[in-house]
Amino acid sequence: MFSRLFENVSRRALVLLGALLIGLFGAPLVASDYLLTVLILILYFAYIGQAWNIMMGFAGQLSLGHALYVGLGAYTAAALYVHFGIGPWIGLLVAVPVAGLAGAFIGYLAFRFKVGGVYFAILTIAVAEFARVGFDHLTWTKGSSGLFLPVAQYTRNDLWLLRGQPVMFYYILLVAAALAFVFCRALLQSRIGYFWLAIREDEEAARSAGIDTFRYKMIAVVISSAMTSFAGVIYAFYYNNLFPEQVFHISRSIEIILGPIVGGVGTLFGPIIGAFLLTGMSETLIAALHALGIDIPGAKQVFYGFCLLLVIAALPDGIWPWLSRRIGLSEREK
Amino acid sequence: MKRKSPSKSLSKGASVSRRVFTAGLGAVGFTAGIAPFNIVRAQGAALKVGVLLPRSGFQAGIGQDCQRGVDIAAGLLKDMGLPNLQIMNADTETNVDVARSRAEKLIGEGAQVLVGAFDSGQSSAIAQVAEQKGIPYVINIAAAPPITEQGYKFVFRNFPTGGMILGGAFAAQKEIFASVGAAPKTAVFLHVNDTFGTSMAGGIGAVMPKFDMPYKIVETISYDPAARDLSVEISKAKATGADALLMVSRLNDAILLTREMVKQRWSPMAIMSMGPGWYEDQYLKTLGKLSDGPLSFVPWYDPNKPLSKTLEAALAKSSPGVSLNTNHVYTFEALLIAADAYKRAGSADPKALADAIRATNITNNVSPGPGIQFDAKGQNDKLKISGIQNRGGKLLTVAPKEAANAKAEWPLTPYDKRA
Repeated sequence: MFSRLFENVSRRALVLLGALLIGLFGAPLVASDYLLTVLILILYFAYIGQAWNIMMGFAGQLSLGHALYVGLGAYTAAALYVHFGIGPWIGLLVAVPVAGLAGAFIGYLAFRFKVGGVYFAILTIAVAEFARVGFDHLTWTKGSSGLFLPVAQYTRNDLWLLRGQPVMFYYILLVAAALAFVFCRALLQSRIGYFWLAIREDEEAARSAGIDTFRYKMIAVVISSAMTSFAGVIYAFYYNNLFPEQVFHISRSIEIILGPIVGGVGTLFGPIIGAFLLTGMSETLIAALHALGIDIPGAKQVFYGFCLLLVIAALPDGIWPWLSRRIGLSEREK
Repeated sequence: MKRKSPSKSLSKGASVSRRVFTAGLGAVGFTAGIAPFNIVRAQGAALKVGVLLPRSGFQAGIGQDCQRGVDIAAGLLKDMGLPNLQIMNADTETNVDVARSRAEKLIGEGAQVLVGAFDSGQSSAIAQVAEQKGIPYVINIAAAPPITEQGYKFVFRNFPTGGMILGGAFAAQKEIFASVGAAPKTAVFLHVNDTFGTSMAGGIGAVMPKFDMPYKIVETISYDPAARDLSVEISKAKATGADALLMVSRLNDAILLTREMVKQRWSPMAIMSMGPGWYEDQYLKTLGKLSDGPLSFVPWYDPNKPLSKTLEAALAKSSPGVSLNTNHVYTFEALLIAADAYKRAGSADPKALADAIRATNITNNVSPGPGIQFDAKGQNDKLKISGIQNRGGKLLTVAPKEAANAKAEWPLTPYDKRA
């Protein structure tokens, strides 16, 4: 199994991957606090983009409501911590099944009744919006007034309760993003991965070939939603406040999918490249404008729009397939 | 070219000649001579204030309105004899993640005090960074109580909490009823069903019983703030026969509701709003005479305070046609607090600044109440909520009495009796 992870991976790719990991591992030693915050955001979006990619990139099911699973993970773990003092890792054991069940519910509704394509996407938005309105009225999680986690001045990092400095969250997200990468690679190399790709390319043909498309699409939805909920737990304990309007909002779902789309849907490096490019370059753009004494509110959104336009027009498969060819890496590794 | 050996040069320099001695003495004298000027310059250096506002995203309009308060602050503070502020602007993009990273960035660039950020979620994210870094943070607008309940040492809020706003609104209503010698016995409550409206509706339900109000709510009607037709809601409200209309709305729906009341010939005894919409410039300009009469209960300013008049004049000059409002007032006051603390602390040391902010006692301010002071939690708990009434395209303060510049007009002039 382990050896299959490296099948068709060139030595150059391994060296580059190793260099990237070493660079990211050592980054907090040289990064300023601000840069560390930006890197945390990049890793957060890289991880969550990887989770979304399972559903859309591998199995071909477009979800525009992934903020639902972030919110469910965040609220479940945060509420358990606030009300019962249950730590986030135990909370995760509840949050993951809750999000997985929500994903299974949506998947069952859609796939059993043959809701596909844009209609499936609308269904995912609808359920996320339903959750947003519902959490606005849920008094147990403080409704629209917001759920606040108690915070204090932390002199040391408490990994068990996720209370501490940003650097702790950085390493958690780095490990999570790396594991998600390996996990997705393993999935793609497995029987399930091949079935997903078959479904993505032509569902009718896959069914004709004997693939239980309902089952494998359900697996994709459940894995993707469960993985996404972990990001929600980290989000809750990093920001320490949750508002339904912010967590479940459709703009959050769009933020999640931008990285993989720009980086390359269905590729393993796409979500990572996309997260680095969008978050990293937009911050660089803001810094450059600032250095020139130019203050343009909304410049980042304009940049996002420009990137999307550029990718759609020039690189419809995303940046990674093009980049991997340019740097001489095998296309087959995606 | 032949170079001198360093050893030779050193050995030669070891004996101090009269010329070297004189030059050295001159240098010491020069340094000593200019030192006092350096000290003076350090004391007169501008305080670097990082201002975080949502100037893009869905709160962009409000963030940009708050920015007007920032833009007029420099001149006013200078006139008040307060130290200069070097404003470092940052856009939070109406996003918690961005608010946090921008706070880190500003601190990294040397911000000595942070101010912002209009929204509770964003303010809470900034507060954590400020506390972690030990940089004082003055919240201009954010009402969620937990922000100042976390035991923070560097976070201060000069804005009422949600509970203070609701409590203050009911107190102001009772004051108005007493001053006009009349009160509604029944009210119908209309509110938007978005996050803000739902939260306010819940809060009103919880707080109102504590105030023994003379009216009871006979029906509660919620509606979508994006609705293009609110005729059914007004029909239902009219059918209740309630004396007063209690409102929690936004701007567009406030305009729609007013037009519908005119169409359906319904003029309650009073319209009492506990949110935005009914006092906004756009409402007054769009409806003209029909905008007269509604009462709004909001964190406002005391029009009788000298600084309010100065602030109004400055805003009229910088942004003609824009009326002074909550956004300008509380953003300006946050900067006032920073400048005042810097003057008293005599240093930009974060701890000294935080101690100075904690000891703030500004009586020459703008907001209603005795002035700006902070309790042990960093909350200005002395702030009052105002009752304001639209009259002839202007906003007059009718409560609390000490901050009023007019008496409430009661009851509402029926819409069909207006010229």
